[in-house]
Amino acid sequence: MEPIVQMTGITKRFPGVIALNHIDFDVRPGEVHVLLGENGAGKSTLMKVLSGAYTPDEGTIRLGGKEYKHLTPHISAEGGISIIYQELSVVNWLDIRENIFMGRLPMKKMGPVPVVDYAQMNRRTEELLEKVNLGHRKPTTPVSELSISEKQMVEIAKAVAFNARVIVMDEPTSSLTEEEIQRLFTIIRQLRSEGKGIVFISHKLSEIAQIGDRITIMKDGGYVGTYQVADLTTDDMIRLMVGREIKGTYQHTPEENFQFGDVIFECRHLTRKDGRCKDVSFQLRQGEILGFSGLVGAGRSETMCAIYGAAPKVSGEIILHGKTLSIKNPYTALRQGIGLVTENRRETGFFQNFSNKRNIAIAQQLKNSSLDGLGGFTNEKQEQAIAEKQREEIQIKCSSLEQLTVELSGGNQQKVILGKWMASNVQLLIFDEPTKGIDVGTKSEIYKLMRGLADQGIGVIVVSSEMTELLGLCDRIAVMADGRITAMYDVADATEEKLAKAATAETTASA
Amino acid sequence: MKTLQKKKFTFNDYWDRYSTITILVIMIAVFGALRPTSFLTGSNLIKIMEQSSITILLGLGEFFAILLGGIDLSVSSTMALSGALTAQLMVNAGLPPLVAILIGVIIFGAAIGMVNGFLVTATGLPPFIITLGTQALLRSLGYIVTDARAVSGLPASFSKTMGGKLFDIIPVPILVALVTAAILTFFTAKLQAGRNLYALGGNSQSAWYAGITVKKHTILAFAISGVCAALAGMVNIARLAAAEPNAGTGYETYAIEAVIIGGASFFGGVGKIPKVIIGGLIIGVINNGLNMVGVSSYYQQLAMGCLLILAVTLDRFFGASRKN
Repeated sequence: MEPIVQMTGITKRFPGVIALNHIDFDVRPGEVHVLLGENGAGKSTLMKVLSGAYTPDEGTIRLGGKEYKHLTPHISAEGGISIIYQELSVVNWLDIRENIFMGRLPMKKMGPVPVVDYAQMNRRTEELLEKVNLGHRKPTTPVSELSISEKQMVEIAKAVAFNARVIVMDEPTSSLTEEEIQRLFTIIRQLRSEGKGIVFISHKLSEIAQIGDRITIMKDGGYVGTYQVADLTTDDMIRLMVGREIKGTYQHTPEENFQFGDVIFECRHLTRKDGRCKDVSFQLRQGEILGFSGLVGAGRSETMCAIYGAAPKVSGEIILHGKTLSIKNPYTALRQGIGLVTENRRETGFFQNFSNKRNIAIAQQLKNSSLDGLGGFTNEKQEQAIAEKQREEIQIKCSSLEQLTVELSGGNQQKVILGKWMASNVQLLIFDEPTKGIDVGTKSEIYKLMRGLADQGIGVIVVSSEMTELLGLCDRIAVMADGRITAMYDVADATEEKLAKAATAETTASA
Repeated sequence: MKTLQKKKFTFNDYWDRYSTITILVIMIAVFGALRPTSFLTGSNLIKIMEQSSITILLGLGEFFAILLGGIDLSVSSTMALSGALTAQLMVNAGLPPLVAILIGVIIFGAAIGMVNGFLVTATGLPPFIITLGTQALLRSLGYIVTDARAVSGLPASFSKTMGGKLFDIIPVPILVALVTAAILTFFTAKLQAGRNLYALGGNSQSAWYAGITVKKHTILAFAISGVCAALAGMVNIARLAAAEPNAGTGYETYAIEAVIIGGASFFGGVGKIPKVIIGGLIIGVINNGLNMVGVSSYYQQLAMGCLLILAVTLDRFFGASRKN
């Protein structure tokens, strides 16, 4: 079948870097073409060539029967290419219909004056929302009221509205729950059956097997090959992608006769001021990793924020090593040995204007400071030593400790954050989506580091939307729904089905 | 992606580090070439430093507001009000100059700054709006406490020391500015609070999650701004031997210019104290130099405007900010 778009021999050089090296990529009507590669493999660069944002140095692009040396954003859009980026580009303060028709509002004439045809806009928006399963939303609903998954649907509706023939989705599932992912897949299958070409970029191998037809694998800017998804196992994909053997999933197997230690951390009847976590109680034993499963908005991150003092609570006791802590803000939490690795590294995890050294040293420095962090001296030598030690221990790949953390890959940024907490002698470390947007190689390293912390006697709590991650990593898994814990399983008894069931459970009977 | 590491000292690296001092040297060279006998003399250069001392002091305070990604428009009013209040303490209450200065700087300056900081943290409004309000409010208070008249009759010992010269060479105002800058350099480089302010300016969300007490640090930054403005107020009344309620009207612009020409990022988190001094000196050199060349004061503003835009543009393309 004639491809909608065909890129041949695409090469793109940046000063000192070959970002793309003779890449072939095409999208046919009615297929889901997966693009797979580690962070930095060049997937995003390739998509930017496709969108017309980058001009390739070599190669040709065939689109709509014509051959181009490079595309412009205009030609790309006219040719029916639509890209949905990981950071969604909806405008929060506009409503759904305005977002969909932004820049291309339907017009009518009122006398000689052209005005916006709101009636037509509403009607067409309703049709589109029906199509992407958002029929329950009104066209005039502000986008700020929608969940991430719904915003994504709005973007898809926007692509459909303008007759996109190729829809590129850059890690569309990274912020979605299992259920939302399945809903997204339903829409993708429907679009495929209508003859649209879908480019699906994801790190989650199990999803690829579910939804992909063909797969193109990239590595370090180079082209590895294009295959039928059905012909590859997940282990094949990993091998092709990283060029070395890595077991696809991490599976912790405790030693025989392993006994958990005493309870080191306890949370009793924790309730947040805004009600987003209600009467949450649980215990954590020494050597144990406790997972939190549930849908987005179930109150998992919110509970962790309350424990860490980042959000106000109305009641509840936080007990660490038998001592009841008084936590007013993150500063007091940190000083008493509690750490939080937040979900969004860039927004809340590290400082863009700080070097690796400073980002690693800050928690330890604050811990030793006085007067709510206002007092105390910095010590360059000590900072250097602390950062050096973490860099070696957890193998942070950076050109130097003076390099800005923002320049590192996602996985190494996460290691910097981990190093920060380890350097501060944390007693309880809470991870919120610790491997979001991180490639498989680094992922398994991070799992090992987390297990290492637990083995050292540090309390480890993990919030994750990836059930396989929790099942492979944790010893026990709590499930939350609507701000409450609805179930608690030993990992041996837990299955994806049980977790999913508890996540949607009626919360009146809280466990 | 594999990066080929090349360690070559490029123009970018040079501009990163030495942009501000380069501009200053070029300015001095240009005016020196045009007016070798009048501009490039020791006494004139010292005069420039003295004239720049108030801009530098205001700029040093402004630096902290801008470091947080905010701004402090009230520095000029703070300078006038604290100057007027201190003058009254000396003239009407008969307090010894040293005591009056301490009260003026530590109590008035810091308190005004803390109010600014408190209002910013309590309302969550942009510092631009809050300090635009307090600018007007404090200016008005200045007129009210002085009855809109200059406070004169300051003790001679005060104006002679604070407005005089050390060893008959070095103007005390520039010493005040340099000592303040030295203390603040130490503060930003060696104290935890200084480091925290950079962090907070870089990303306030990350700062909160990293355990930095955001509100207290914001109040601290504005308090420093207030203290520096009050110091500028002391220098100003000493130089004039009187406190005028309309002193320094519009000087906040100079303060902001000094900080920005000094390479601080308007988005926060980036900047260095010593460069604020150079930024302030550049403004002083332009004003003085254009006077010497005989350019009308109408054109001086034009030159300032062009320089500001040029300096920031160069920084945008060659300096550290190009990375963001």
